[in-house]
Amino acid sequence: MKHTEKELQSLKEEVREMWQLVLSQLEKCKQSYLTDDLEIAREVASREKRVNTFELKIESDCENYIALYTPVAVDLRLVLSMIKICSTLERIGDFAEGIARHVIADDCTPLLQLIKDDLQVETMFDTVIAMLSDSYAALESENTKLSGRILQKDEEVDTLYREAIRKLAEYVEKNPSHAPCVLETLLVLRKVERIGDHCSNIVEEIVFYIDAKILKHRKSKE
Amino acid sequence: MMMIQANNVDFYYGEFHALKGINMDIEPNTVTAFIGPSGCGKSTFLRLFNRMNDLIPGTKLQGECIVNGTNIYRKGINVDDLRKEVGMVFQKPNPFPKTIFENVAYGLRVNGINDSKVIKERVEQSLMGAALWEEVKDKLKKSAFELSGGQQQRLCIARALAIQPSVLLMDEPASALDPISTSKVEELIHELKNDYTIVIVTHNMQQAARVSDKTGFFMLGELVEYSDTKKMFFNPEKEQTQNYITGRFG
Repeated sequence: MKHTEKELQSLKEEVREMWQLVLSQLEKCKQSYLTDDLEIAREVASREKRVNTFELKIESDCENYIALYTPVAVDLRLVLSMIKICSTLERIGDFAEGIARHVIADDCTPLLQLIKDDLQVETMFDTVIAMLSDSYAALESENTKLSGRILQKDEEVDTLYREAIRKLAEYVEKNPSHAPCVLETLLVLRKVERIGDHCSNIVEEIVFYIDAKILKHRKSKE
Repeated sequence: MMMIQANNVDFYYGEFHALKGINMDIEPNTVTAFIGPSGCGKSTFLRLFNRMNDLIPGTKLQGECIVNGTNIYRKGINVDDLRKEVGMVFQKPNPFPKTIFENVAYGLRVNGINDSKVIKERVEQSLMGAALWEEVKDKLKKSAFELSGGQQQRLCIARALAIQPSVLLMDEPASALDPISTSKVEELIHELKNDYTIVIVTHNMQQAARVSDKTGFFMLGELVEYSDTKKMFFNPEKEQTQNYITGRFG
């Protein structure tokens, strides 16, 4: 393997490690939220710094690669997509930390127990975790055939989110005294929904890298 | 109309099949770069267009090479006239052992222009066109050898421009130059595109990416891919091209 290829391999390896860390953060923040586990929530919050460190390191390595090796074609697309993907992973890490901080700060246990199942929060979490995990598999195998299915999952998350807002609105009408907790819940769900959007952005970057196609903003154009 | 066309061009050095079935259209006022590994045929192909290969014994050409609508290999073509139409700049600057002025005026004189006023005007225009006038206007009577390598190369470009060609062929014009002179020549290529059709052979892929509108990738005598430079360096069609431009070739 040539020197430049080794550099790209090591860049991919760093992104893989960051990806695994962010996936683990998501799984743990889901667990802490669904079980109101403060210890796990604190763990997620403290590990956020590692995600940020990865972002800075990968960005710096990408900049160096461009400066030193002036990549073209598939190599250029890889480096450009890695810059965007690591930045997006960092945003997902922020959301996971944000959800963990809700668990630490808020005492909405009665409300959560009451409506958690009805809002399908676990399904929302599982769907975005699957999106992140499947998009990693697409990158690893350099196969974009799954991209359509992953993007479809984002629409499923959006549908669940809209439905959850409707249910929360009904709930707060009947239980106005729970309004603060309802708003907190809404903020958490909003974060999960945004994670879905970011996973879609990652899939778009993978398609850009592998197929040189731009999926971004296609929906809004149509 | 295309400025340059190659139709089913095959070229042989004796038994060696150097170019295989090349087809290419080059639009006027564009810069086209040829890239590829050593011995791939890119310089051979370039030299076809002012019949430089005629000087090599044992060569054979099949197919058509058309410049400005004329098949330049048909019987009756005057090669001197062709070379007025198609100028050439080589890898190493090759000024004549004459003054700066005479280097540029030489082509005019051998083409029968003797009016000193016309010659003076054309020399000045050509040196301006080659972005050299400001640097040499006060030392036109000095030997061309007193110029730096980069200036000598721009002098050779001025010499080529003096006879007002339509096409400029450049065979690795900056490979013997330092980065600053290279940058000046590249800038000049950008400027000259407004008035000339330029074809450049380069081993420097970043140079091809910087200066050209279209790029042709040659390998083993075949034109593997010919497309817009942006496409070639961002998303080439052929795996061979990708392997070459990303350095995975071989």
